[in-house]
Amino acid sequence: MSGGPLIVQSDKTLLLEIDHPDAQACRMAIAPFAELERSPEHVHTYRLTPLGLWNARAAGHDAEGVVDALIKYSRYPVPHALLVDVAETMDRYGRLQLANDPAHGLVLRALDRVVLVEVAKSRKLAGMLGNKIDDDTIQVHPSERGRLKQALLKLGWPAEDLAGYVDGEAHPIELAEAGKDGGKPWTLRSYQREAVEAFWAGGSGVVVLPCGAGKTLVGAAAMAEAKATTLILVTNTVAGRQWKRELIARTSLTEEEIGEYSGERKEIRPVTIATYQVLTSRRGGAFTHLDLFGARDWGLVVYDEVHLLPAPIFRFTADLQARRRLGLTATLVREDGREGDVFSLIGPKRYDAPWKDIESQGWIAPAECVEVRVTLTDAERMAYATAEAEERYRMAATARTKLPVVRALLDRHPDEQTLVIGAYIDQLHQLGEYLDAPIVQGSTTNKERERLFDAFRTGEIRTLVISKVGNFSIDLPEAAVAIQVSGTFGSRQEEAQRLGRVLRPKADGRQAHFYTVVSRDTIDTEYAAHRQRFLAEQGYAYTIVDADDVLGPPLPTVD
Amino acid sequence: MSTSLADHLRSLPDESLAALLQLRPDLVVPVPADMAALAIRAQSRVSVSRALDGLDQFTLQIMDAARLTRDPADGTTSVDGVLALATIGPNPPAPTAVRAAVDRLRARFLLYGPDSALHLVGGIDEISPYPAGLGRPATELDPRTAALCADPAKLRRTLLAAPPSARAILDRLAAGPPVGSVPPGALQAPAVGADDDLPPDDTNGGAATGSPVRWLVDHRLLVRVSGGKGGTTGMVELPREIGLLLRRETGPLGPLRSSPPEVAATPREPKAADSAGAGQTMEVVRHTEALLEQLAAEPAPVLRSGGLGVRDLRRLARATGSDESTAALLLEVAYAAGLTGEMELPGTAGRYGADQQVLPTAGYEMWRAGSLAQRWEQLARAWLTMTRQVGLVGQRDDRDRPITVLSAEAERAGAPAARRAVLGVLAELEPASAPSVEEVLALLDWQAPRRSRGRENTHREVLAEAATLGVTGLGALTSYGRLLLLAEATASEHGATDDPLGLLAEAEDGGSAVRALDTLLPAPVDHFLVQADLTVVVPGPPEPALAAELEVVAEPESAGGASVHRITTSSVRRALDAGYSADDLHDLFRRRSRTPVPQGLTYLVDDAARKHGGLRIGSAGAYLRSDDEALLAEVLADRRVEALALRRLAPTVLVTPYQGGRLLSVLREAGYAPVAEDATGATVLTRPKTRRAPARVSVASRALDPLATPRLPLPRLLGVVEQMRRGDAVARAARRAPAVVRGTTPDGPTPAHGHHEALAVLQQAVRDRALVWVGYVDAHGATASRLVRPVSLGAGYLRAEDERTEMLHTFALHRITAAVLEK
Repeated sequence: MSGGPLIVQSDKTLLLEIDHPDAQACRMAIAPFAELERSPEHVHTYRLTPLGLWNARAAGHDAEGVVDALIKYSRYPVPHALLVDVAETMDRYGRLQLANDPAHGLVLRALDRVVLVEVAKSRKLAGMLGNKIDDDTIQVHPSERGRLKQALLKLGWPAEDLAGYVDGEAHPIELAEAGKDGGKPWTLRSYQREAVEAFWAGGSGVVVLPCGAGKTLVGAAAMAEAKATTLILVTNTVAGRQWKRELIARTSLTEEEIGEYSGERKEIRPVTIATYQVLTSRRGGAFTHLDLFGARDWGLVVYDEVHLLPAPIFRFTADLQARRRLGLTATLVREDGREGDVFSLIGPKRYDAPWKDIESQGWIAPAECVEVRVTLTDAERMAYATAEAEERYRMAATARTKLPVVRALLDRHPDEQTLVIGAYIDQLHQLGEYLDAPIVQGSTTNKERERLFDAFRTGEIRTLVISKVGNFSIDLPEAAVAIQVSGTFGSRQEEAQRLGRVLRPKADGRQAHFYTVVSRDTIDTEYAAHRQRFLAEQGYAYTIVDADDVLGPPLPTVD
Repeated sequence: MSTSLADHLRSLPDESLAALLQLRPDLVVPVPADMAALAIRAQSRVSVSRALDGLDQFTLQIMDAARLTRDPADGTTSVDGVLALATIGPNPPAPTAVRAAVDRLRARFLLYGPDSALHLVGGIDEISPYPAGLGRPATELDPRTAALCADPAKLRRTLLAAPPSARAILDRLAAGPPVGSVPPGALQAPAVGADDDLPPDDTNGGAATGSPVRWLVDHRLLVRVSGGKGGTTGMVELPREIGLLLRRETGPLGPLRSSPPEVAATPREPKAADSAGAGQTMEVVRHTEALLEQLAAEPAPVLRSGGLGVRDLRRLARATGSDESTAALLLEVAYAAGLTGEMELPGTAGRYGADQQVLPTAGYEMWRAGSLAQRWEQLARAWLTMTRQVGLVGQRDDRDRPITVLSAEAERAGAPAARRAVLGVLAELEPASAPSVEEVLALLDWQAPRRSRGRENTHREVLAEAATLGVTGLGALTSYGRLLLLAEATASEHGATDDPLGLLAEAEDGGSAVRALDTLLPAPVDHFLVQADLTVVVPGPPEPALAAELEVVAEPESAGGASVHRITTSSVRRALDAGYSADDLHDLFRRRSRTPVPQGLTYLVDDAARKHGGLRIGSAGAYLRSDDEALLAEVLADRRVEALALRRLAPTVLVTPYQGGRLLSVLREAGYAPVAEDATGATVLTRPKTRRAPARVSVASRALDPLATPRLPLPRLLGVVEQMRRGDAVARAARRAPAVVRGTTPDGPTPAHGHHEALAVLQQAVRDRALVWVGYVDAHGATASRLVRPVSLGAGYLRAEDERTEMLHTFALHRITAAVLEK
């Protein structure tokens, strides 16, 4: 027994004891092929998945190395069957290659003839493959490049895409690290640099960075690397404007070079920022804005928040396989489980940094998560007890009893910028009135929204009440405290986003606070349990306190 | 010759005879009466065949050499002759190796006699007619071929002239066996003109070759011999002389290899192989336990045809997270180890015997109590000795029915021997060398070709199973696997002789493998790590006490080297239900956890404990409620109703274990004024009930005087008349029926004859649509007759129309006694 820090489980999870002296070395060894699933304080859980192993294979790791790492760091004997399985799974990647043949164009080439015969027979590939050129090569229609990769992944024989990319229309883009228009000089952070390098070396792929870690800059650096016209796809207009602002400030691009393609404006410029929404809007059953993809000879396509990429965009992306694609996200976990499509259509994961690590490097403020349990009044309990099942969550989440608690929490942080987040409009209005704070909700116009955000940013407004719109890609740099009063059924994604709101780097390294106010003994508590699990799995300290402690004596300190 | 063997045996010292009997143990079952009997048995086909089965390829080839060098006159050969023949080839084996092989053959008395006049044991030619894969001498086959063979120059020319396709056939036959079957018609002369379609062949004088076999037969290189079973399909044989000529390159005996084939496999690090195997043993034990737990929770029914159904296997495999073949193997092994057994389902005994189901036995409890290594050793030993070929499960038997787990179809008596052979091969190699499957098969083929050929699949399965069970790791035999084999081998030897009760084997042999494995397996741990996401990680196999505690307070999430459990509200509630208090739980986590207990967990336990028992359930016979609390207090204090054992649940509710009726009467007697209520709370009023007989109808309601004649309306009367007329006609018709049909004539035709005739008449009547008198026996055995018009005849029934009643009748033909056409 080597007494290593790693325990290999038969369900292909790896448990890494992080207090072990070899833990850091082991983490470096297994990170390329195992996906970090949970990172609570003592034992991190990694998972071996086919996708993860193929990602590793794509990055040049071989099965022997993976097996060696497992054996080297494992505390206990590793079952033979698992090692065999790992080797066999990894061996499947790259048996098939997509390549450019000088004579026949795009071809599917097999390093293992049997595999080619097997997949060629598959019904899933019907119509994608063209003529057989020789025993090991089959012609592929260029338009099927993406769909073929998708289908091959489903068959368990992911193809290596070596067919290369078109350069696209050249356009000069530089990072303005010296500072622009009198701005301060800055430099890319080391992990951003690494992420861009990994992406560029791989050609296409996804960079996973937590919210607030500067994904926009990774995108900008990739553009500076490509020096070509770029299409940026973002979740909504606000996020788009933020991209634009950031690009103008951090690169050589000027306002005239950046176009916005949204419901309001339809500009196509060398760098165009489009929203998922406008691209997926249909008229008469047809997607009307598809022409955008062919409007210019794009050299790079950037997908912001890949985990939210709507299904139709995947279909368009399948047709864009000859262009470099960069996916940016905080998490590869998709609620719809289409991680495989991201892998085959946008590309393998090229860079990943666990949140906690970035935090310890000092980029993200450490957050303290506190769940405040509010005891409902008897009248509220009675109303809750007799409510219809579908009304219950709303009843519990919007209890008026939460209001004084929110006020008390605000009073604890009199000097901090604070966001109050909720899902129910009525409740938000109550809060707005009670706290005398402005509200940002779905119906707020973009102009008003930006005005409020600007005021918040400058510190003019200290407290802002926001609805679900706050979940997506808005930039609130100095929010140090977030108070969540209601959410949407404990979704993991939402949690990551919300935490991201308050995890923006602080100028002076103050601690961020994330409070959730929960009604005791209701379904609200159950959702809170999901939240607790998610946050604890991400390695955040999580404390549960009673509302009385908040209203009464000072909060217990948590370190 | 047999006498000479007997004489030879008689002249031997006792030790030599004992050595012979040890090498060929089948000779003493049953013990032969005398030396002659022993000699006869030693030359019997069965015994010789068994002796040959155990020999390696080289020794068998030397045996062939001995056969080929026999003097045709007296059937003897000599060591020198054998040596000379064996060393002809390009890579001659060392003479010592040949001599050693000869000695092996002599030790088994397959060869006997002095060096210069070696005798071959009789019966050998029956077992394999073609020594070294060479055909019979040409003289025995065909004189013209013999003539050709006698002229070496001509023979060589003919061979060189053979077209390539014919040469390929020759080479194949030369490599042995020397006979081949010929497709029908290949030897016939082609039809006239068919030759034109064939390409011209220069080697054949410019003419087309046609079938290469025909060419060879025509040129006397092959000889037609009488076919095997079919007789019609032709067989051809390559004469020995030509075979030897073709084997110039390889030597007359074919390629000779005096030592087993080399294993090119990369040797593994012994520790790595042991470690991979040990990991696998943990998996096996864990999966077996999970399977048996699953069986205990839901026993699997035994099929009528034996074995477990495919669906049950699939369910078990899914529940334990293993694939079906692994689950099948583990189920078989567990059964062989006595961990599961069948039990009759009570109350299902029927015509085919009771339904049975498979579930863990009492032995399973003992097994579970053992250490990991002990448990594995029990399974592995059961596997080594079980006469089951699990690889057959899922395949189809001769009748195309799927072979199921634990069914009789997967029984193979040779399975343990196959396992011993395969693992024996691995055991003889360097420790931790991992030969490929093909290399193992090649080694087996060399070691005992007569035993291994045709069993390649079985051997592959053995290797796969050994890997699954952790007997091998990374393809190499593990150190503890080696010890297990050793223990098993000595146990079977000892068991027969020195230790008839098998006590020694139990006491010492099992131990070494267990001890070796024990050092490789993780030691049990007595602590865990609790984390803020409410998972509990036990970093190793838990101690039984810890496992029992965790089973109550947490849900298992992932298993393997360590185990991960999750604490949820419901698991805490379960612990509270099982009698833990909140303090016990806090204490448990504090005591067992190596890490600080997270605040979230403490809060969860307290929160669950606060709510636990917030609702109470009990049973009562009846309740007593009143809005007047004082009144209830009075009742409770009343000594006259003490017998009711009233208990106060709430200020306004009392309960009693007795029924409502009793409560009511006792309270009334005591002077209270209770009222009963039903399940909805409505008052139940009780009044004395008067008894009544069932209702009857008054005579006054009867409409008519029973004696008055009913008056019928005219239409009904007319109907009555018509009915009477029809009845009359029927009666007349019945009278008119011919005597033969009525069955009244004593001198009528015999029933059989009558029946026959009746059918003919009926068939005619169907065609003519004529009226027929049919006499028949009705269901009560009475004879009756009817005048009908037959409609159809078929399927054993006559369908016919009775014109008087206008009904269609169906008569069973066998009931019809007679039929006569109406005149």
